[in-house]
Order: sequence, then C-alpha cells, then structure tokens
Amino acid sequence: MPSVDTKYFGILPYREEAVFEFPQGLPAFNEETRFVLIEMPENSPLVFLQSLRQPELCFLAFPILVADREYRLAVCRDDLEALELDGGRQPNLGSEVLVLALVSLHDGFSATANLMAPIVLNLKTLRGLQAIRQDNLYSHQHPIQSYSPEVVC
Amino acid sequence: MLVLRRRAGESLLIGDDVEIEVLAITAQGAKIGVRAPREMVVLRKELKITEQQNEAAAQGLARSDLQQALEKLRSSSKIDPSLR
Repeated sequence: MPSVDTKYFGILPYREEAVFEFPQGLPAFNEETRFVLIEMPENSPLVFLQSLRQPELCFLAFPILVADREYRLAVCRDDLEALELDGGRQPNLGSEVLVLALVSLHDGFSATANLMAPIVLNLKTLRGLQAIRQDNLYSHQHPIQSYSPEVVC
Repeated sequence: MLVLRRRAGESLLIGDDVEIEVLAITAQGAKIGVRAPREMVVLRKELKITEQQNEAAAQGLARSDLQQALEKLRSSSKIDPSLR
C-alpha cells in the first residue's frame, strides 16, 4: 500500500482508490493535482485535504453543510462537466458529491470558511475541483461560530 | 469609483494600452472583451480572491498547535460535547 507524508499526522498509508484528482489543480496551487482526504474521528467534523506531492500542503476543511446547514450549491455548467457530472442540474450532496469548505485560521485561532469557492469532489469518478460561484450569495470568509456536528455530507 | 454607462458595442480605454469593450448584455450578464498587452494579467476578481484565500488556508498551523486549534474551534461553537 502506498503511503503519504502528511503535514499533521506523519506518514499514513492510503489506497489509490482514495485519491482525488484535480486536473486543474487549485487556484494558486495549479501544480497540485492529487489529494487524499483524511478523516479522523477525533477531529470530526474537520477533515484534511492533503497534497500527495507536498507534505507541507494540507488544507483544513469542513463539509459544507457543517459550515452552513442551509447551503445551496450552485456549480456552473463548465465545472459540472469538468467534474464529469450532469451539466443540467446540481448534484446531490453526499451521494454524488462531497462538498468541502476550506478553512482559514486567523490570529487567535478564529476561523473562517470559504463558502464562495467550495471544493467539489465527485465520489464516483474521484475528480475534484474548486468551484467558484458565479453569484455573490456567499462569503469567501464566512465566520465559523457554530457548526453542526450531526450534519454529515 | 468612476461610474460610466456603456451600451453593447461601446468601449472604454484605460491608459494607452487597455481597451474594455461591452460586447453584449443579456439577462445572464454582460459579455466583456478586454484588449490588453499580452504581459498584462487579466483575471476574474473572484479567481484572485480564491487564490489569496487558498494561500491563507494553506498556511494552516503548526502540527503541535492542531489540537489546541481544534479545541478552540469546538469551544467557540455550539457543539455537543458527547459528539466530540
């Protein structure tokens, strides 16, 4: 089994079937095309998106409904097609896609989540991308004051 | 902010080298054309914001601070302790 050197958890084994491919990388990280999702019960609901290429690159993220339980997905057609999803409708959270909000920590450990540009992962094909919303309904710095641990998506 | 009213087909100039033309206006939005020197970076603003936000998110925190940060996140939230 291959293993990955991680930022927070040392060396962890992973399965190739657990690798998400980001063909376009992420904005500002265009070279980073392969990530593994690390979920640990003790850190729940926080999850970790670890680059396979760079041990030091590991994003903290919340499932999007944890950050905002009313969140409405709006992925544009181009992004849906890049994700190998039906371009004509929004995918179902949890069954078709896993949607994550990247978390930024600020001074004194206050945290914000980027709801404007969520990470969308196709659970079937293991494709991922950061889907920047075309509207302005959500903030790129949504304060995390309360989150709902019982929501899993 | 300078505010100008432009119709489809009209443009405006910024300096000597940059022209911004309104190509079409539809219910979905305005279609904009930009003529600028090749070396000039033209980005959708939300892409720039996403880049900056990703760079901030990638800072993360020191490995030794992870548990403390998680505790802070939990204590600042209404999380039920039994679900930790």
